[in-house]
Amino acid sequence: MTENTNLVVETNDLGKRYGERIVAVDGLDLSVRRGEVYGFLGPNGAGKTTTLRMLLGLIRPTTGSALVLGAAPGTPESLHRLGALIESPTFYPYLSGRDNLRVLARYAGVPAARIAPVLEEVDLASRADDRFGTYSLGMKQRLGIAAVLLKGPELLVFDEPTNGMDPAGMAEMRPFIRSLGRDNRTVLLSSHLMSEVEQVCDRVGVISRGRLVGEGTVDELRGREGLWLRADPTDDAERVLHSLRGIDEVARADGGLRLAAEPAAAATINRALVEAGIAVSELRPERASLEKVFLELTQEEEAA
Amino acid sequence: MTRLVTAELLLIRKRASTWILLAIWTALALTFAYIVPYIQYTNDPQRGLADLLPENLVGTLLAGFPFFGGVLALMLGVLTVGSEYGWGTLKTLLTQGPGRLRIFGAKLIAVAAVLLVFVLVVFALGALASWAIAVNEGADVSWPGAWLLIRGLAGGWLVFAVWAALGMFLAVVTRGTALATGIGILYAFVVEGLLSALAREVSLLDGLVEFFVRANGYSLVAVLGVSTDEVSDSGPGSFSGPFVTGGQALLVLALYLAAFVVVAGWLLRRRDVV
Repeated sequence: MTENTNLVVETNDLGKRYGERIVAVDGLDLSVRRGEVYGFLGPNGAGKTTTLRMLLGLIRPTTGSALVLGAAPGTPESLHRLGALIESPTFYPYLSGRDNLRVLARYAGVPAARIAPVLEEVDLASRADDRFGTYSLGMKQRLGIAAVLLKGPELLVFDEPTNGMDPAGMAEMRPFIRSLGRDNRTVLLSSHLMSEVEQVCDRVGVISRGRLVGEGTVDELRGREGLWLRADPTDDAERVLHSLRGIDEVARADGGLRLAAEPAAAATINRALVEAGIAVSELRPERASLEKVFLELTQEEEAA
Repeated sequence: MTRLVTAELLLIRKRASTWILLAIWTALALTFAYIVPYIQYTNDPQRGLADLLPENLVGTLLAGFPFFGGVLALMLGVLTVGSEYGWGTLKTLLTQGPGRLRIFGAKLIAVAAVLLVFVLVVFALGALASWAIAVNEGADVSWPGAWLLIRGLAGGWLVFAVWAALGMFLAVVTRGTALATGIGILYAFVVEGLLSALAREVSLLDGLVEFFVRANGYSLVAVLGVSTDEVSDSGPGSFSGPFVTGGQALLVLALYLAAFVVVAGWLLRRRDVV
């Protein structure tokens, strides 16, 4: 596998099988570009965590290959330049937050002077000397992020970082993760939450049953913005719409008509329908939600 | 590597179980080496005082190493590695950068250092106890030679190291603490204990027992002054042979240590961490 310097993570036909029957990841071709926040979206059990574990060298792929920061997964060359929070934050329960970071700093070869700033950054300085076992879930998560930041990594890997958090904690976490993607840092975020990915990520890869079933920016995945209208009589409206320029497609949907047309054409369309004696009771711009796209993509894969 | 070892030492030092094991070890060692025998002596002076005097410090203390001391060392080994699986902290460590074998190596060195502390603490407290008994009984206070003392410390440490390495190996195999501790204790007490006892009656087992950790541990400490009569008459931890030569005991224990370390390291390096 040759290295593309613009790609921070690159996989080629990456796969993981457990025995003959269980295929956790199946021929995954993934590319995460430098400086972007990449969302790895998929339902529970789709293979997200297995993929991330392979990228960190925790588990060995059974097929394919991967490069992380230009090096093989799990090698010191890649691990020294990345920070990862896989599933729930795991630390020594009998040590304080500060001592936990002290242990990790020694393992990572990071000066102890880095500990205080990262504790400040995640707003945990006041509880840093309490035992990790006494922390709330939100505090554990923040310590996990502090551990990720400790190395000043180029690549940050988060696996379901808001799992188990309350809505306030989630609302706080998302802009924080978004902000981590600045300064040429790359963030790889796995999640099964559409809203999270939509708010945080530049690009998204959708995984289902271990396969990448869609990839692009959120806008690309949601497709072109169109129009939806309710008119009476519908048959006449459909006929008029077919005769208008600038409408690529007319389809019946949700009790009305869905038009593949620029939203700016709404006034022209409305006038044409009214002049044809058709009553227009509703006309609005419409775009497929990421959730809808996600469900379509994953259901197509399941059906296949 | 120094950074990694200091991190491991921090983990072990701050863990309550380390201090609990040290407290149990010193309490058991002093109780069975000095306190109970001294009470027996005061009740029955015919038993003699020689083993309780400073001169016999090495032999008197080492008698407890191959049995209950070894089991406590096994638990230290299990906890040091097995808890990493239980808490899920192994994956946190593995994503920090050093390779798996360096992490395992740091744990080995840290456990080896802590075992040395366990040995030194018991020898220091044993020396204090034997001195107090000698002074109390008006006996001569003469200490063992430096060479015997060094060999005693090293022998005790080696016996501990083999048991701790077995514990680390079992923790890697079972990916946890509970099963590893259970298997370790079962092996120490039931497999080695029962088969050693049966070896007296079943000659076929005699050759097998000569390669047991316990048999070689007792054989090693016997060379350093532990009375074989005494260990064959010391309750549940009794061992009445077969004893092998000191050289064979040293070799077998060293091979066990190397085997447990190599296989555990190989497994840790090779297996997925989920």
